[in-house]
Amino acid sequence: MLPESPVGAKLRVTGVRLPLADAFRLHEMGVRLGTLARVTQHAAFGGRVIAVAGSRYALDGGTAALIDVEPVGPLSSPMTRP
Amino acid sequence: MSCHGPAPLPVADRHGTHTADDRTSPAPLRVLLVGGPNVGKSTLFNALTGARQRTTNAPGTTVELATGTWRTAAPGSRDPAIERAVVDLPGTYSLLARSADEQVTADAVRELAWQAPACACAATSRLGVAGVAVVVLDSTALARSLYLLAQVAETGVPLVVALTMLDLAATATDSPTGAMEPQALAAALVAAIGVPVVPVDARNRAHGGLRDLARAVDEVAAHPTHVTGIDVPARTVSDGATAAVLDLAQELTHAETLFAWVERVATCLAQVTTGLAPASDTDADLTCEHPRRHLPSGRGLRGRSSSGRSSGPILSDRIDTVLLNPWAGIPVFLGVVWLLFELTTRLAAPLQDVIDRLVNGALASAVTALLGLVGLDDSWVQGLLVNGLLAGVGTVMTFVPVMAVMFAALGVLEDSGYLARAAFVADRVMRSLGLDGRALLPLIVGFGCNLPAFAATRTLPNARQRLLTGLLVPLTSCSARLTVYVLLAGAFFPDHAGTVIFAMYVTSVLLVLGGGLALRRTLFRDVQAGPLILILPPYQRPHLRTLGMSVRLRVGAFVIGAGKIIVATMLVVWLLMALPATGQYAVGDAPVADSLYGRMASGIAPVLAPAGFGNDHAAAALMTGFVAKEVVVGSFAQSYAVPEPGDPGRAGTLGERLRDSFDASSRGHGGAAALAFMIFVLAYTPCVAALAEQRRLFGWRPTACAVGVQIIAAWVLAVLVFQVGSRL
Repeated sequence: MLPESPVGAKLRVTGVRLPLADAFRLHEMGVRLGTLARVTQHAAFGGRVIAVAGSRYALDGGTAALIDVEPVGPLSSPMTRP
Repeated sequence: MSCHGPAPLPVADRHGTHTADDRTSPAPLRVLLVGGPNVGKSTLFNALTGARQRTTNAPGTTVELATGTWRTAAPGSRDPAIERAVVDLPGTYSLLARSADEQVTADAVRELAWQAPACACAATSRLGVAGVAVVVLDSTALARSLYLLAQVAETGVPLVVALTMLDLAATATDSPTGAMEPQALAAALVAAIGVPVVPVDARNRAHGGLRDLARAVDEVAAHPTHVTGIDVPARTVSDGATAAVLDLAQELTHAETLFAWVERVATCLAQVTTGLAPASDTDADLTCEHPRRHLPSGRGLRGRSSSGRSSGPILSDRIDTVLLNPWAGIPVFLGVVWLLFELTTRLAAPLQDVIDRLVNGALASAVTALLGLVGLDDSWVQGLLVNGLLAGVGTVMTFVPVMAVMFAALGVLEDSGYLARAAFVADRVMRSLGLDGRALLPLIVGFGCNLPAFAATRTLPNARQRLLTGLLVPLTSCSARLTVYVLLAGAFFPDHAGTVIFAMYVTSVLLVLGGGLALRRTLFRDVQAGPLILILPPYQRPHLRTLGMSVRLRVGAFVIGAGKIIVATMLVVWLLMALPATGQYAVGDAPVADSLYGRMASGIAPVLAPAGFGNDHAAAALMTGFVAKEVVVGSFAQSYAVPEPGDPGRAGTLGERLRDSFDASSRGHGGAAALAFMIFVLAYTPCVAALAEQRRLFGWRPTACAVGVQIIAAWVLAVLVFQVGSRL
């Protein structure tokens, strides 16, 4: 779960349980299934900031809780580096 | 293909403005700047157009657009300059619009696609096409921007890619493409997508790329090329529909093909970035061509130094550990808002005084003296020029420092990257009203002055949120209303004046919350607090020249847009005060009570009787307060024919007169009537300047409706307060 992941954790997005329109927008913005991410900040009220391919995404607590992730090891490709 | 596209956008040229329909001669090439939020689009627009720009609302919307003329010297010194009409479109992540702002961008791109040369209904530029889209990509986050590029390419619009944020890419150690020199990155991208890619450093024009961009735009206009691997026009993106009415599942299925294209391009770039030999042919749609042949002659495919590059925290991450900290983030945000509040009140106040003295003092005296030379002193002409026209101009000019300070402060917050963080930090607070966290900023600033608060609504990402926030701003108790509270609280509740004034501010907060909830459950059901997914731009130092240009442009738009309404209103007020209601006075000689203005106040007074202040003095003061709340105290003093107190808290004779007339009109419940009057002052229209700015930003209809609702709400609340208070 994204909210439980510590700062610095490297993750892979495995599921997005947001309503379709919101999940679609998240995909359009660059966070899709299989995307590699790194948690860079825990904010107030459960908010999370994740790094994806050089961008920083701020997610409110409710949204972060609906993004499923799994931990990953060292990354192989710079373009998929979080 | 249909020629009936969306409403054409306004286009500025050096001779003024015309619309896309106004095409009797070869039109200047239209250049649309398309890109995501915070990718440097507006900075590029400023660099391209300089001072030759204006802001206007997109047709039929309250979405603000900047349009301008991009002029470059033509090849050969004797040729005239080449002009292009540039439109800075609202930032969007997708052409599947989710808001009015995004719809404007999607429509503009679609309109350009419909104006292809084959379409007989659209005139084309001298170069053969109606326009070119410049898709602005953030070089620190290329993969994120490629999806929008794919959508634009899919419409069939001729396009050029502008790579921005090059200075930040050098320090973005975790950016996949940050290791590449700009020219190398551009060459790699050209190799991957097959359309011109120009690195531009708009923040530092000396390092430029702007000439290259001009050349690329003209080249594409003359010989349109299309993005490799994108089918045109297999389908157009959301032909006129918004995401709300689209079959999202179907759109998502289609989007997957674009996502796959994005992945393939990203893979090609990754191969170049890591120094791997590009694949000769990865699949049927996309060839990872080696970028070498797209580099300027004599240049190799160089990368930046690899030292210090890692996937660890970058400088912005380290700053965010403080500014977004769960404990420190909110105090920091409140500190920033407090600073903004102080800047728009304390910093601007001395400048306002200077301007006021210049216009209403020195300039008014000079005009009076000049009129005296031609025998027109003490005439209605003097009244019209000095008390009407000059007073109106003075009012506009005294607001210029406030607006300039606000625009500059907002520009710094936006350019530095903090504004997006503010939205994130304040998100929870504003969520109950369905608003973005950034809405808290104008609502707090409104307690200083409503006028810059309206300006601050522009930081909100969509038009409906801006309108909702703009309707709530007048309910924040600006400092001008404080003088009225101090006068009446001091006169009627001398032992509890502080408590009464505090209660007015608490009431103001409750009105904002109540008004917000009521609006959201009625007229703004569509404004919902969805998931907050925000891309945080990297922190950067604001660029002074760009900031100055933006402030000048926005202040100019205020002076012209709102100023004419303010001056016209001041002239009307002067006229009503100058015209006698009976034949026994000459124009300009009648006392206020015997002027049309005084008679109007007398006519209004009975309507105010249920609130306990149905007297001519209170009615006239409220009418004057419509122009500016600062003059309510002076209006009372004038109508009672007593000196205006220097300190409203020590009203002296004025206080006695107020108690007498309020007691008389309320049958002995002067205190309750005074409270009701203060509530009315809090809830009704803030001032004509705020009204003019509201009209400029949101249009006549919402403004007129808001004024009507505010007056009715003010009356209902005042009656309620008086009826309850007088029975206690």
